[in-house]
Amino acid sequence: MKKIIYSIVYALCLFCFTSCEYDNYEAPAETFKGTVIDKTTGKGFQTEAGDGGVRFKMLELSWSNNPTPWYFTCKQDGQFQDTKVFEGNYNITPLGAFVPFVQTDNTGKITKDESLTIDIKGTVTHEFKVDPFLAVSWVGEPVANSNSTISTQIKIERGTTDPNFQQNCIDVYLYVNYSSPYVGNNNYDSRYSVHLSGTDANNAVGKTITLTTPVLPGNRIYYVRAGARIDYSVDGSRRYNYNEPKQVKAS
Amino acid sequence: MKIAKYILCLFFIFNISSCINMDIPPMNVVQDKDVFGTSNGISSYMARLYSCLPIEDFRYTPTRLFNHFWLVNPPSCITGEGLSRDMGGASSENVDNKIFSDLYVLIRNCNYFLETIDQYKDNYTEKELNNWKGEAYFVRAVTYHALAKRYGGVPLVNSVLKYPEQPVDQLNVPRSSEEEVWNAVSADFDNAISLLSETNQRGRATKWAAYAFKSRAMLYAGSIAKYNQIQLFDSKNGNKRVCGMDASLAQGFFQQAYDAAKAVEGHHDLYMKDWKAGDLTAQYTNYLNLFSDAASTEAIFVKEYSYPESVHGYDAYNVPAQCKGANGYSSEISPTLDYVEMFDGLPKDSKGHLDVYNADGTYKLYNNTMDLFATAEPRLRATVILPGDQFKGESIEIRRGIYVGKDDAETGKINRLLPEGNTSRYENYVNVGGKTLIISSSNANQTAYTLHDGTKMNPAGASGYFTGDGTCALSGFTIRKWLNESTPKALVLENRATQPWIEMRYAEVLLTRAEAAAELASLGKTDYQNDAYSCIDKIRNRAGATLLSSSEKSSVSSFISAVRKERRKELGFENKTWWDMKRWRVADKEQQNTRYYTLMPFYADYASKYFFDIRWDERGNTYTFDTRWYYQQIPGNAISTSNNLIIQNPGY
Repeated sequence: MKKIIYSIVYALCLFCFTSCEYDNYEAPAETFKGTVIDKTTGKGFQTEAGDGGVRFKMLELSWSNNPTPWYFTCKQDGQFQDTKVFEGNYNITPLGAFVPFVQTDNTGKITKDESLTIDIKGTVTHEFKVDPFLAVSWVGEPVANSNSTISTQIKIERGTTDPNFQQNCIDVYLYVNYSSPYVGNNNYDSRYSVHLSGTDANNAVGKTITLTTPVLPGNRIYYVRAGARIDYSVDGSRRYNYNEPKQVKAS
Repeated sequence: MKIAKYILCLFFIFNISSCINMDIPPMNVVQDKDVFGTSNGISSYMARLYSCLPIEDFRYTPTRLFNHFWLVNPPSCITGEGLSRDMGGASSENVDNKIFSDLYVLIRNCNYFLETIDQYKDNYTEKELNNWKGEAYFVRAVTYHALAKRYGGVPLVNSVLKYPEQPVDQLNVPRSSEEEVWNAVSADFDNAISLLSETNQRGRATKWAAYAFKSRAMLYAGSIAKYNQIQLFDSKNGNKRVCGMDASLAQGFFQQAYDAAKAVEGHHDLYMKDWKAGDLTAQYTNYLNLFSDAASTEAIFVKEYSYPESVHGYDAYNVPAQCKGANGYSSEISPTLDYVEMFDGLPKDSKGHLDVYNADGTYKLYNNTMDLFATAEPRLRATVILPGDQFKGESIEIRRGIYVGKDDAETGKINRLLPEGNTSRYENYVNVGGKTLIISSSNANQTAYTLHDGTKMNPAGASGYFTGDGTCALSGFTIRKWLNESTPKALVLENRATQPWIEMRYAEVLLTRAEAAAELASLGKTDYQNDAYSCIDKIRNRAGATLLSSSEKSSVSSFISAVRKERRKELGFENKTWWDMKRWRVADKEQQNTRYYTLMPFYADYASKYFFDIRWDERGNTYTFDTRWYYQQIPGNAISTSNNLIIQNPGY
């Protein structure tokens, strides 16, 4: 009887300890960073944080030529940094409100492929230069009026001459919030923001327009920023082009 | 030795006898012949197909999906039709592998039926056989429609896949193009139409149901071809366009939608049993009864429930707070003022809002909250419980609070409590010397307030608004559509309600016919325009609404908006609107940090009258539709189990 018990205990020990062998991969530690540069300004591409802004489609080709893509997103000012990338060979396509790096015709045939294929090891820095659909810029500084409104002058121009991306401008917004400089379509107060749509939005292209907020509850700091988009979907969303956010103290 | 011989004999007897019929099917497993060999067996097979049919009925919510008992996240409260304490904003459906996998199980069951039934054809008449096959095609078509409206092009699997007999690479099926899927839906409905009988057991498909569902599906497909702009190609599979279709296909789909809708004419009709011309009350009763009269000719396809086997809890979750049952739930859906204002018969100001303010900005005063709605369109009253209207024999009391300002009330000149567009709570704002002028209640256990004349009144109505909990009429309105008024309070319980869900009714067929005709007109084919006008007027006439105006008929685009508005009014709270907003591709424009309006009734103590305040949803919620949701996220499991052959939709 004892013998049986002992042999069971030995067998158990044997099984228990063999499973304890250290069996793990290194955590991802490589860094991929850089800036998305707006060719019209030469500065960082203005966008919004999160999925509605700029996303990088990452295909890791080291193991398979048919990998499941993973994504990470860009900061509001066009800078990006991912410090947890596995070492390997990647195909990278930025997706945002700019002329797509990979284009297909209406049968799905790839007509242009400027995606980046690169080995990521250590720290890799890259600049993506992009043609925005629309170049949105400030004309002068926003003005706090005495009646507790804010007036802004904005210029919206085409950022590309490519005829495939000259769709109508369908929405122009003056986004306003009072919470943070992270203002945009992802974070604005619909009570105070100004919206042009339809022909009003399309007519705004190429001119300097003045947008004035409704009366604001006054005497505090607001963040304002203009955004506009054309009738073209990138990666499932019609994405906005922006100018840089500004801080204004309403009277 | 004799004994040895006996043993030998016995040995042979057992051996030989045991060798007979060892190869029989297992007795404890139901065999094909048991199911397909008798009509009872087939009934049970059909019961399974129908019970799994993906329709957004009483037991569907975007959060918990199909056939779930817990209904606290109503689908109508992500579209702006209603507000719900449990739905704080716009949302898409929960990403759950259940949809993908369950629907393919259902498709497999249809395929299995179609491939097997012919082996048993000698047991049945041809008519029976055809009808059953037609039902299987019908279920399969409805299922592919449910997949295509969510994901675009999906794998088409129209035969039973055999595992492990078939190699794995035959079992992994990539996505078909969206066009192929809609064409497959159309073909399946055509098969169903030619095979199904004109009548069938209630709750099962008829020829007319197949026509009606086909018109719904083709209208969806046509709208995608016309309005969608998202495209996705599957480069690993011959560059098939799995999201989006060529705009040139729109006309064909709309034509199919029109023809199928037209075919139902004469076989079903609008419910008009209790309707009387010019009689608002009769029209209201008629509209209510259309949902409860089992013999209604309007119902084309119905999902039945029965206690205790198959039940829902719509009443328990949605009755007004003052009628709540023992589970303590109530008023899950509160229709927004935006929804209410679409209806006719209401006094409107120049901006199209309810006219509750005088020209000088003060409130209009009313003796009774229902005075404002005296001439309201009967359909509105039958859809929404208005403040003060009757339900289950009692007046549904909805009041935000009591206004105790004295001087202004005595002269009848009460100024707006909050500036227009203000989102703060009344209690924070309306005060004099730190003391609020609004007396309100935080929940249903109220302390009566003594009015200036000495009488007592609860600050809030018995059905709300309560400032502390959301179990009340959040918008100033509460839902009436689908509620069963004859249920006694003791039976207003979860899992106790059994009123049927009318998934397809003739009004939708008329709306589809009108919309398809209007869209065809926009593409240059104006043959059906007058027919479309009469479809809409037929619905408006029954509803007690104003008939089409000349401005609505003045251009194709204004007529399209009239049809869409009619659809949202007629089919509100029937879980169709979200899909309409999606196929029209308007959801992202409509819901961009959008706030919805509510109507808050107050009692002014010193005026002894009521007034109404229009304001944004007091909870401060905003609704934003993410354009990616036009094509929903394919569950990760579906992708990984296909060896990455199924590709993800854009943006996820």
